[in-house]
Amino acid sequence: MHRYLMMKNNSIIMKKLNSILFLLLLMVAFNLKAQEPTLTEKISTVDDKVNGLLERVATDEADLSKLTKIKVSGYIQAQYQNFQSPALLSTSQNYFSLRRVRVKFTYEAADGVKFVLQPDFSPGALALKDAYVVLNDHWSKSFSLWAGKFNRPNYEVEYSSSQRELTERSAVIRAIYPGERAIGAKLEFNPINVPLHAQLAVFNGADGLSIKNNAGTELNSNENKDYDNFKDVMARVTYNLSLGSFGGLDFGAHGYFGALKSFATTTYSSDYTTVKAAKVGDAISRNWLGGEFQLFADVLGGLSVKGEYIAGKNASIGFAPTTAIPLGVANYQNKFAGYYLYFIKNLGKKNQFAFRYDYYDPNTDITGKNVSMSGYAATATTAKKFSGKSDLATTTLGFALHHYFDDNIRITFCYEIVNNEKVGTAGTVVDNYTDAHGNAGTLDWSNHINQNVFTLRLQAKF
Amino acid sequence: MGRDAINRVCTEASHKFIKDQNFLKDIIQKTMKSFKLLKVSIIAVMLGVITFAFVAAPERITVKGSDTLVILAQRWAEVYMKTNSNVTIQVTGGGSGVGISALINGATDIANASRKMKNTEKEKLKARYNTLGVEVACAKDGITIYLNSASKVKELSIKQLGQIFRGEITNWKEVGGENQSIKLYGRENSSGTYVFFQENVVKGDYATSCQTLPGTAAVVNAVKKDAYGIGYGGAAYAEGIEICKVKKDDNSPAFVPTAETIKSGDYPITRYLYMYLRNRPTGETKKYIDWILSAEGQKLVVDMGYFPVK
Repeated sequence: MHRYLMMKNNSIIMKKLNSILFLLLLMVAFNLKAQEPTLTEKISTVDDKVNGLLERVATDEADLSKLTKIKVSGYIQAQYQNFQSPALLSTSQNYFSLRRVRVKFTYEAADGVKFVLQPDFSPGALALKDAYVVLNDHWSKSFSLWAGKFNRPNYEVEYSSSQRELTERSAVIRAIYPGERAIGAKLEFNPINVPLHAQLAVFNGADGLSIKNNAGTELNSNENKDYDNFKDVMARVTYNLSLGSFGGLDFGAHGYFGALKSFATTTYSSDYTTVKAAKVGDAISRNWLGGEFQLFADVLGGLSVKGEYIAGKNASIGFAPTTAIPLGVANYQNKFAGYYLYFIKNLGKKNQFAFRYDYYDPNTDITGKNVSMSGYAATATTAKKFSGKSDLATTTLGFALHHYFDDNIRITFCYEIVNNEKVGTAGTVVDNYTDAHGNAGTLDWSNHINQNVFTLRLQAKF
Repeated sequence: MGRDAINRVCTEASHKFIKDQNFLKDIIQKTMKSFKLLKVSIIAVMLGVITFAFVAAPERITVKGSDTLVILAQRWAEVYMKTNSNVTIQVTGGGSGVGISALINGATDIANASRKMKNTEKEKLKARYNTLGVEVACAKDGITIYLNSASKVKELSIKQLGQIFRGEITNWKEVGGENQSIKLYGRENSSGTYVFFQENVVKGDYATSCQTLPGTAAVVNAVKKDAYGIGYGGAAYAEGIEICKVKKDDNSPAFVPTAETIKSGDYPITRYLYMYLRNRPTGETKKYIDWILSAEGQKLVVDMGYFPVK
């Protein structure tokens, strides 16, 4: 009986469930028919979706346009070098190295405002190369103000290392502008309708210099701040003269007017006869002038001849505030001169040949023959600084052939023949060395010292 | 001469040859000793120079750059190649900036540009190719202001256009139109038209609401579909839209760009269109450029809706 009642109840429940399911199906069918959109509604829906997508695209575009204000570029220079200098026998005469590994970030925050940051990631030498802001004037559109760490105003200094035709800058430029960059401020004038370019800069002035005390402690290690109160001024003016269909001639001049603070009580001169008394805190001046030209000729696929001559007086600082006149720690002012001359010829679209004659004399007061001779060497009575190897002039002949695989990749074969000015008397200026096998050798600077360098460089730029 | 005599002469010659050969060998050995390996590399470099110095002039000319100029450049190439089957001319657009960059990096022989080459670009060309580039003005253009056909506004001054594209005037009613927001359409910043219009009309930053489009045809299409849109571009693309009359200032008469108004200087937004080369053209490239500047080439300029240089 109980079982019968159970079955009956189940049957009733099943019937009810079937009725409910039937009703639900009817409702769904009715609703489906009732909810099927018309063509207009469908178009409206699609239109809404398209409008929504357009809005999203517009938002994305606005975001992307912000990103376009940031530009990232850079280059890597991997190279193999072979040095012929016997003095390097004890270490390595040939090696692979990464000469430059640079990434440059440029952010154009607004029209006329630019930030630049360029670190160099060379192994063991991570360094901040550029960090500056440029503000362009909105009114005349001719002036721009630079502040931070940037290249000193000079043709070869400002010419990008990724474009340079020889692997390194000329000897005179490397000597007077160590590290190329300096911290300071610069005003540039580029009038819109006149091909004139003028720069006036103020720097701390000791950038890249090594200034040591008697104990050998570096006084200029914190290059972020000035070593003294003296600021150095640089000015450069260039003019671009059009030579019609032949090409163009750019010419100009630059000057450096600066000083370093004396920590010594004596200043020697590179003539080895003048000895001046100095006080701690005195300004030891460093001034020079240079003239430059770059001739671009549309001849046989394009060639250029570039040159610059610089001469003046440079200085280095000694450290002897209390001692009378200890040798080698006095201030030193040297008259110098240097020049370079490039000849660059394009060979089709992919190849370029370059030749450079490069001369630098760190002491124009005396010749090589006088070095270490009587009157130019220290004695107990005069206490003058020794003349020596650092007074000798150097002439370098450089040849380079570049092949551009494309805009980004360049391979360079470069050979530099280095000739030194010779000392007058044999045995007076010598370098002793021991080679890798333990054999002792001597380099006598009264002879030609082979310092030639071969460089094979692969550059990738992006 | 007897056999012995001949043998003697041959033997002497042979000895002399061996002697000379030994002498030569000796010289080579001495030379190799005196010239170290690295010095020989100079000779290798010089040989390389001589080898690479002779580069044959191409018979394939690549042209890249201005989108404004691309339809004319393609037409020039088509017509020229019909009568000069030995020459292949490849034309692509991308914008004036793209074309000039390609010229600097050696990827194209001719860069089309609807603006002058910038000083920074000239410096790059100097650094890479030691030349200042060669500029050839090949056509003139009037930058045309595109309006939708339904637009109530028919003319604008240069000042008003500047205000509109800087985003200072945002409603059509401010310049005599309906009470509707103005929709701005323009080119990307790699475009020479973008730069020219900015320097000569906008004279400041473009409004952030200005929608940038890839190519003049896209600007025309956008304005065609947008009743409240306004755009700018080359005269040759102005089809299916209303061409806005432009006046120099509030007191000047308004003009549309035509051959007459551009030649007379009445239409205020005119410019030259240029072709840039790395060097003075030679060979087939020179012939092609000479033909473009000839009466036949300049006739195509007019046929395609541009204006001749003379």
